[in-house]
Amino acid sequence: MGTVSFAGLHYTYPEMASRALDGVELELDSGLTLLTGASGSGKSTLLRVCNGLIPHFHGGVIGGSARVLGREVVRASTRELARDVGFVFQDPELQAVYPSVERDAAFGLENLGIARGEMLSRVDDALEMCGIAHLRGRAVATLSGGERQRLALAGVLAMRPRLLVLDEPLSQLDPEGAAALIAALHAAVQAGTTALVAEHRHHLVLERADRCLVMLEGRVTACGPGGWEKTARLVARDDPAASSELSWRLHRVHAGPAGVAVLHDLDLAGGTGEVVALTGANGSGKTTLLRTIAGLLPPLSGSVERSPGRIAYLPQNPSALLHRATVRSEIDWTLRRTHSGGRADTVLEEMGLTAVAERDPRDLSSGQRQRAALASVLAGDPSLLLLDEPTRGMDGAARAVLTAALARVAGRGGSAVVATHDPQLVAAVATRVVDVGEGVARDRRPLVGAPR
Amino acid sequence: MSTRSLAAWSAAGLVIALSTSNPVYRGVVLLCALNLLVARGRRGSGTRILLVGIGIAGLIATLVTLLLSHSGEHVLVRLPGGIPAIGGPLTLEALAFGLATGLGLAAALLAVAPLTLVSQPHELVDALPAPLARTGAVVGAALNLVPGTLRSAAEIREAQRMRGWRARRVVDWPAVAVPVVLTAIEGSMTLAEAMESRAYGTGTRTHFGIQRWTRHDSVVLVTALLGAGGFLALVVSGGAPGWFPFPVLSAPAISVPALLCCALLVVPSFHVRR
Repeated sequence: MGTVSFAGLHYTYPEMASRALDGVELELDSGLTLLTGASGSGKSTLLRVCNGLIPHFHGGVIGGSARVLGREVVRASTRELARDVGFVFQDPELQAVYPSVERDAAFGLENLGIARGEMLSRVDDALEMCGIAHLRGRAVATLSGGERQRLALAGVLAMRPRLLVLDEPLSQLDPEGAAALIAALHAAVQAGTTALVAEHRHHLVLERADRCLVMLEGRVTACGPGGWEKTARLVARDDPAASSELSWRLHRVHAGPAGVAVLHDLDLAGGTGEVVALTGANGSGKTTLLRTIAGLLPPLSGSVERSPGRIAYLPQNPSALLHRATVRSEIDWTLRRTHSGGRADTVLEEMGLTAVAERDPRDLSSGQRQRAALASVLAGDPSLLLLDEPTRGMDGAARAVLTAALARVAGRGGSAVVATHDPQLVAAVATRVVDVGEGVARDRRPLVGAPR
Repeated sequence: MSTRSLAAWSAAGLVIALSTSNPVYRGVVLLCALNLLVARGRRGSGTRILLVGIGIAGLIATLVTLLLSHSGEHVLVRLPGGIPAIGGPLTLEALAFGLATGLGLAAALLAVAPLTLVSQPHELVDALPAPLARTGAVVGAALNLVPGTLRSAAEIREAQRMRGWRARRVVDWPAVAVPVVLTAIEGSMTLAEAMESRAYGTGTRTHFGIQRWTRHDSVVLVTALLGAGGFLALVVSGGAPGWFPFPVLSAPAISVPALLCCALLVVPSFHVRR
């Protein structure tokens, strides 16, 4: 009997017509399995069957056979399965139950009724395994995204699960945080835990994976890496038109939220036709720098200049912008508010959203939602585009749309600044890279063929 | 200091402040509570905002009593009789009674303030008795979502501003309110999933943290019980007279045993400052 054994599994969400899972056949015994596939292909749904969140938490119609560790998922509740199945979610900010590190790591053990003495040693072991023992005594709110995600993993590992399920655990982590999480995951697998990981940035996991599965339209269709090809270079670094005019400039700027400077003495500038990538670890100050350029955060000292024109800003959670009944009306709303002369149809076409123009954006798959949010920000041809971690949780299609949009902005003489820890996006679009860390920003110029 | 002994102290302060109309006893409770906040309050925990709020509440109580109670012999000012409810004489006795009412309200609020200003939310949750442990975990989780929701609200407001949003009319607010509410709901759903996935609700919970109960906590508990119990006994037996300034203003009577009962509330602060 396999650890996970699905046969002819199908599932339909409540009030949905089409199946999210459509005849899944899957046998997993041990090791680390990587699950890839486009947004909306059914990865998250499949993972949630492993610990019974589907169907017990979400409802819907399920059929076929789904056995996990010898138990029929339909008959065992999530809380029963949780004794043996650990689950780590995508967003590290939404998993912490308690405000202190040890206390949160112990939450699952408290629920299992583990005696306090054993709880202490299990928490210690789990924090050690995840490389965050040094965070003991810290408040969860003060941790970086990578640290939080490792804490979430530690909280699950403390319960000593036989099956570990992770849903896009790396999407919000910087390379260092991602590497640390993967190392912790690998250690758990070495200790005998079976792991199933869904991840768009699968090149990070692939090296440690024992097998790779691909999901397509609700089915596990193939094995192999696929789907994460190197993105083609879209913004020419040696474009003669690039950087002909100043778009924005920070002069001796000290900046930070709540009157506390986290960035010091910045002298940076960006020109038209440029795409500047801001890189650096979680919490290094990239968002602060973006908000300062945008004018959302006044500098504590120094000056900020921006050339005339509309500034577009995409925050870290872009789908949080969506508030209209249809994708088209989201775009229309921006066009109307910014008094831009553009047409929603053009934007919809450019962003590959024509087919879903009349749908509620919050009913779309995560990749389509990302695109809808991008479209709503990009509408009206902004002259300066500021994006904060735009590839979080993006699949290949959404990334292609994003890179094309950046190329369009740069191509028509606009300027863009992108905070990211996605090296592939940097490789595809950045004309210049600025490293942010330890309170300063280091301009790594010139790249090959960098603008003047 | 244990959250449970602190809760006992707060309950004692509340009992005394609400069981008497005598401003002297209420004043002692208020001073003891202020002393404890100064001695044990956390930095940046909103003490100043709370004190301003309590001051405003006390002032409103005083004004309402002054304006609505037209009894008393010493008239300070006379409002035109045609003004509904507040028209008529405003008296010194009404002002004194209003001040005593405001003082009582402030004392009662300050008595419970240390529970939120001295303790962390999760300490309060931990202090709940075992039958309420599951409720406590839910409350704790909900409290943990608050900072994220506030951050998200600020972020959404900024981002919508960059899309041209301006808060000019009521109809403009859905552009911010709808995403904030939907994001909060989605966040709550994810947290609920995370809790369920970590076996929440499986059975009897154990506790990682232990509430340390020291000799000082025992002293606080005993003195709180003695203070509140003794004061109540004196009130019932007539040994702790209340105060009523009508029809003629008079000084409040003071009973030394009752005063001592109130003064027992200062015990937690003394211990801290030693």
